[in-house]
Amino acid sequence: MLALDIRNLNKKYPNFQIKDVSFQLEQGYIMGFIGVNGAGKTTTIKSILNMVQADSGEISILGKNIAEHETELKQDIGCAFGDIDFYTRSRLKTLTGITKKFYKNWSDETYYSYLNRFKLDENKKIAELSTGMKVKYSLTLALSHGARLLILDEPTSGLDPVSRDDLLDIFQELIMGGEISILFSTHITSDLERCADYITFIEQGQIVASSEKNEFKESYRLLSGSESQLNEVKGKLISCKINSFGFTGLIHARDIDPAWSLNTAIPTLDDIMIYFAKKEGVYV
Amino acid sequence: MYNLVLKDLKLGVNPWFFILPLILGGLMLIPGWVYFLVPLYFCFITVPNMFGGFKSQNDLIFSTMMPVTKPDIVKSRIAVIVILELMHLLIAMIFSIFTFRLYPQMTYIFFPPYMGFWGLCFIMLAVFNLIFITMYYKTAYKYGAATTASTAAAILFAGLVQWAGIQNSWMHGIFYGSGTGNAALQFSILIGGILIFAAFTLMAYRIAVRRFLKVEIL
Repeated sequence: MLALDIRNLNKKYPNFQIKDVSFQLEQGYIMGFIGVNGAGKTTTIKSILNMVQADSGEISILGKNIAEHETELKQDIGCAFGDIDFYTRSRLKTLTGITKKFYKNWSDETYYSYLNRFKLDENKKIAELSTGMKVKYSLTLALSHGARLLILDEPTSGLDPVSRDDLLDIFQELIMGGEISILFSTHITSDLERCADYITFIEQGQIVASSEKNEFKESYRLLSGSESQLNEVKGKLISCKINSFGFTGLIHARDIDPAWSLNTAIPTLDDIMIYFAKKEGVYV
Repeated sequence: MYNLVLKDLKLGVNPWFFILPLILGGLMLIPGWVYFLVPLYFCFITVPNMFGGFKSQNDLIFSTMMPVTKPDIVKSRIAVIVILELMHLLIAMIFSIFTFRLYPQMTYIFFPPYMGFWGLCFIMLAVFNLIFITMYYKTAYKYGAATTASTAAAILFAGLVQWAGIQNSWMHGIFYGSGTGNAALQFSILIGGILIFAAFTLMAYRIAVRRFLKVEIL
């Protein structure tokens, strides 16, 4: 079953547009949604949550159209926005007391078990929590109402490496039962190297690729060679960097000519993002 | 809808704004004052502070993340406004009973607080609601222009009817003179005011929902 199914999503702003965004997330997996700042990750996520009105396209969550079943589906969605705080002068227990009334599947038992696990003090105010603790609190709320799809917008931004590592372990544990799925937007791609099953890469409002993580990485190659060899391959490179030792560029694996005597390597997610960001014009 | 109202009452609205009607109600004890100012303080103080709080606390995103519809978000917010408005008016009305007891021989320059006057207050807040709510829900966070325009309109209404009450003998008769002894007339003005308040607020709700459905929650 698809936890999330986005087809041909379009949204036009005066200076930016989301164009034909389509991707699917299978239930029980983690999908990393990557792209540079301003690529369209948050706009896509807000469209999923019906916060932004798409010009066209269809969004289905757990088999149901969000536009038609918004209230019902939001019972099954948990979200966390890394950089937004709500009612920061309120205590956790106050905010929880209000939030739980909205959800019919709320479980106090689950809530307190996560509260203990994350070492969150109910009597603290939101403002007193560290960034990592805030994300953990958002997760606690999401998991306590039995969310089956977690939509997390840059939840690891601003976290220290230990908190990030901890959070990624939690994400992996959550999907083990096969019931919970996670869409996780970030520009910190090393997090996804560790925990994502699928990668969806968005660049300037368009999906460049959406596939299994290793398949995604292996569909590209980092090519390096001397400056004199550059002319031979330049037309096929997505983009390249030139330095005193020669050049390094990103290329689609399918475009590699076996006759070339160049060094090739599988790029990291960071490499792919960086070289795509340097690319000019329209995508393949 | 009920949960959203509860959320506003417990989280969004500072308890001070529930105490304020009691304090402002005390202003009704000032003899012969411009009593229109008592409900107007709701527009001057409560509304900008309360909506400033909603904006700074990111209430809009919090509410839209909950499993509720956009019309419910508007409906609950209007319910909170109406609850506070009714608190202001009802408490002021109760204080006005003591005003008449304290100053039985008072000669009023401005409207004395009979039932008819409270009917006018309901109409004044109806005007305020219609303008404030509809303007606010163009963005669902910008409250400055909406507060200014709606408060100005409410003051204008109050100023005009007060002027008419002083200058026009028919109006004067209803609100100061022999009409004040006519319980049926006074009561019907009050009921009329309440009906206008309900109609304008309902109209504001419908327009606000239409506008809010187009608002992008950024």
